[in-house]
Amino acid sequence: MKDLSLSTASAHWGWEEHSYFGQRVFEELAGHESFTSLTALSLLGRRLSADQCAVLDDAAACLTLADPRVWPLKLTRVIAAHGGMSAGAAAGLLIQDGARIGPSTVARAAELLVQLHLELVGTGFEPEAVDAVVRGYLDKHHFVWGFGTPFRKRDERLVAFCACLERRGRRRLPFMRTLDAIAAVVTRARQTEPNMGMATAAAFLDLGVNVHEAGPLATALMQHMFFAHAVEGAQQAPEILRRLPDCCIDYTGREARESPRALSASAAKTNPQAAE
Amino acid sequence: MSAAQFSGPLEAGQFPEKLTARVVTPGSEPRVHGYDVETDLAHHYTATDLVLLSLTGELATDRVRAAFEVAWLFLAPISVAHAGPHASVLARLCGATVSSTVAVAAIGLAEQARTLVAEHSELLRSLRSSTAKLPERYQSTVAEEREAVERLRRALDRTGLDVPALQQSPTRDAALLSVLFACGLRRPEQLQAVIVLARMPCAVAEGFAERATNFGNYPINLPHFVYEESR
Repeated sequence: MKDLSLSTASAHWGWEEHSYFGQRVFEELAGHESFTSLTALSLLGRRLSADQCAVLDDAAACLTLADPRVWPLKLTRVIAAHGGMSAGAAAGLLIQDGARIGPSTVARAAELLVQLHLELVGTGFEPEAVDAVVRGYLDKHHFVWGFGTPFRKRDERLVAFCACLERRGRRRLPFMRTLDAIAAVVTRARQTEPNMGMATAAAFLDLGVNVHEAGPLATALMQHMFFAHAVEGAQQAPEILRRLPDCCIDYTGREARESPRALSASAAKTNPQAAE
Repeated sequence: MSAAQFSGPLEAGQFPEKLTARVVTPGSEPRVHGYDVETDLAHHYTATDLVLLSLTGELATDRVRAAFEVAWLFLAPISVAHAGPHASVLARLCGATVSSTVAVAAIGLAEQARTLVAEHSELLRSLRSSTAKLPERYQSTVAEEREAVERLRRALDRTGLDVPALQQSPTRDAALLSVLFACGLRRPEQLQAVIVLARMPCAVAEGFAERATNFGNYPINLPHFVYEESR
C-alpha cells in the first residue's frame, strides 16, 4: 500500500496554540508580525526582518498600476460582474501562472538575472565582458524577460522603486548592479528599457529570495489590485460587463453557411424523388 | 482632480472600439462557425457535433463523431479519488455556492488535463510524424490497462475510424489521446478542453452528492499531514 502521508512545514492545529512555519501563532506571531512579514513567512517559510519587509512594502506600493483597463484586472472585473467577489479575485489570480504579463514575469526576470549574474561574477563586470555575455544571450533570445515598457518610454514604477531602494541604501546591492550592467547593453542593442518586473526580481534576489520564490512572492505583493477590482466590480455588478451590447462586437469568423444535412433536407423537400 | 484631468498611456494609445468575435455571432440568431444554431444545428445535429464544431471549426463526419463519443464516454468517469471531484466535494462540504463548486471542479480538471497532455507531448509528436511509432513510455505493461484498451478498441470497431496507435499496446491515456487526435483534435488546447468537458458532469455530480457541513464524514487524515517544524 502506498504511503498515505505527506509532510508539511506550514501549519498544525493544536489545542490552545497553533503552529505556523515553526512559530507559535499566539505567542510569537500575534502582536509581533505585520501583514507583510506574515505574507513573507507564508511564502518563504522564514521570517524577514523589518528592514527586509519594508522593501516588500515598497515593491507592493510601486507595483500598484491598477487601472481596470489593464488586462488581468479587466478580467477580474468581467468575472466579478455577476456579483461574486471571490470569483473575480480567483479568476484574476488564476491566470498569473506562466502569463506574459504580471507576477510570473518577475520569476522569469529573476531566472535571467541569476543566469547572467553567475556568468558575470567571474569577469569583474568589466564593460567588455558584460557586453559579450549579454550580446551572447541576445543572439539566442528574441524575447528578454524583464524588458519592455508598453505604451511609454520607461517604466515609471521602476523609477519610483529604485528611488525607494536608494533611500534604504539598497540600490547598489549585487543584483541591482547586475541589472544596471545588463540593462545598458540590452537597451543599446534592442532599444528597450528594463521594467518593474526586472527591478522587483533584482530587489528580491538581493533580499535572499531565490528564483523559485520570486513568482509566488510577486503574486502576493500584487494581489491587492485584484481584490480592489473584485470588490468594486462585485459591488457594481454592472450589466454592461455582464454582457456587452451586440453593437460592440465585431464578428470576423466564418460567413453564414448551411450544414450538409440542412442542404440534404432542403433538397429532399424540393425534389423528393431525387432524395430517394 | 476631475476625470477630464486624468491622462495616461491608455488615453494616448489607439485601440479598437469593438471586441472581436471569432466563433459565435452575437445577437438573437446565433451562428457557430457560420452554422445557424436554432434553425440548422438544432434540427440536424447533436451536442457532440457542436463540441467538435466549436473546437475544430468544422462539422465532423459520422465516423469521427461516433469515435469521439466513444472517447468522450471513456474519458468521462472520473472518481472522487481524483483532485477535481475531490475538490468539488470539499467545496460542497464547506457550504460553497453551486457556482463555486462547479468552478472549483473545472479548475481541478483543467489542471489535470494540462498535466496529462503535457506528459503526452512526445506521443503527440509521434502521432504527427509519418512513422507514428508509439514511444515505449506510452506502451502499457499492465494487464488491467491492456484490457481497458481492448474494450476501447471493441467500442470503436463499429465506428470504422482507424487509430493505428491502438495496435501498439498503448496505455489507456495514450489510447484515448490517440483517438481524439484521430478525430482531428490535435492541438494541446483542443485536447485539454475536451478532457475537461467530458469529465465535468461526473466531477460536479460528485460534489453535489455531498452535504454542506458534513465534516464528520470526511476522512480528514487522508492523506495524513505530518507537521515537521523547522525553526
